[in-house]
Amino acid sequence: MRRLLADRLVITTGTIVVAMSALFALARLFD
Amino acid sequence: MTGAPLARGLTSHGGLWLIVYLFFVLAPLFALLLGSTPPARSFWTEFSIAIGYSGLAMMGLQFGLTARFRYVTEPWGEDVIYHFHRQISLIAVALVVAHPIILFIERPELLGLLNSFKAPWRARFAALSTYSLIALVVMALWRTKLRLRYETWHVTHLVLAVVAIAAGVVHMVGWSFYLGDPWKRGLWTGLTVFWIGLLVYVRVVKPLFILRRPYIVSEVRKERGDTWTLVMKPDGHAGLRFRPGQFGWLTVYRSPFKITAHPFSFSSSAAAADGRVEMAIRELGDFTSNISKVPVGQRAYIDGPYGAFTTGHPADMHVLIAGGVGITPMMSIIRTLADQGDKRPVVLLYGSKHWDAITFREELEAMEARLDLTVVHVLENPPDDWTGERGFVTADVLRRHLPPPYADHEYFICGPDVMMDAIESALERLSVPITRYHSERYSFV
Repeated sequence: MRRLLADRLVITTGTIVVAMSALFALARLFD
Repeated sequence: MTGAPLARGLTSHGGLWLIVYLFFVLAPLFALLLGSTPPARSFWTEFSIAIGYSGLAMMGLQFGLTARFRYVTEPWGEDVIYHFHRQISLIAVALVVAHPIILFIERPELLGLLNSFKAPWRARFAALSTYSLIALVVMALWRTKLRLRYETWHVTHLVLAVVAIAAGVVHMVGWSFYLGDPWKRGLWTGLTVFWIGLLVYVRVVKPLFILRRPYIVSEVRKERGDTWTLVMKPDGHAGLRFRPGQFGWLTVYRSPFKITAHPFSFSSSAAAADGRVEMAIRELGDFTSNISKVPVGQRAYIDGPYGAFTTGHPADMHVLIAGGVGITPMMSIIRTLADQGDKRPVVLLYGSKHWDAITFREELEAMEARLDLTVVHVLENPPDDWTGERGFVTADVLRRHLPPPYADHEYFICGPDVMMDAIESALERLSVPITRYHSERYSFV
């Protein structure tokens, strides 16, 4: 259960990092 | 070797640490947008660069996750931190590997950089970093299948991690596309020094402090169930103060500078006045199988205490659920409660293979007279005349021996992974919220 929640934490972190990387790329395009 | 209620971690300063983690990954990336920036290229090229930087920052922060900072590990529990360390590394490596793949798809002319004989140095370092990361992950995932000794793997793991990160930063600085400004080069080089500095802190600085606080093995006591209790007394210092249920990283035979220490729960009472500590260790692997041969008088070092698998929270009763050698932190809790004269009811549900292999069986019987303690043995292979619980600790066993409402009790669970999963599901079925139980997986490293 706790590890399941930890897995969700990993997925959340990964998703945020990928989304923010995409935001970085978009910011560059509209720079 | 500990666990804290994850929900508490998520809602208190554990949540803050997640924000700090994301800040350390993303702030150095977005700092690249400040000052002078090179001309923008396509979305996918820019995205691939961004994930390369993020992936490397995540790999660097891996050193921080295993640096044994109590403030970092306590809200989550050591086992969750190590689980996060393992799982997040897969995402970090995926990002680092996706970085060149996207570039090669976008700009096929870059494929020539794969030829390390002809490629410029900045590309060679990228290849070195990526290959090191892949080797690191393969060895971590399939260490047992590759039949690598734990100590050998550990040293290789650290060397590959340092090579991967250092080579990655040399690649970034060498390419210089985003790191044209000297302060940006300084930022990323400084970050790398900081990440590797975390490793130096754990492996060099911390052992220097531990070296000044040695312990002497005063007794090696045989227990039931292939288990030995190592009794250690502080040598020239007052000893460490731990809370019952916590653990320490133990080093015997060698100096604390030895790469591999082993995490063991303290099994003695936290109220021992002379600083003496005990660790009960079952013969299960390379290191533990030789624990019986440790001579009295041997110097030992303990890095600790760590962990939030401890009592002290409001509860009407303590429910301790142990499987096999998972009894060790429970013994510390029971012995401490006895020394403190705590009269709250304690129920110990204790799973073992055989009647004769029940570690601390006699002492637990004696403890039932000193405390309001009920011990329920659950035997996997019981003798023919056994009338007690059989098999494993299940939701039915919990219902038979615990008074409702189940959510009012405080639960401590320690044992093999299969047992832990089963108990955690059973508690969920009994509507026990995650904040009411502590779980500790002793196979976290």
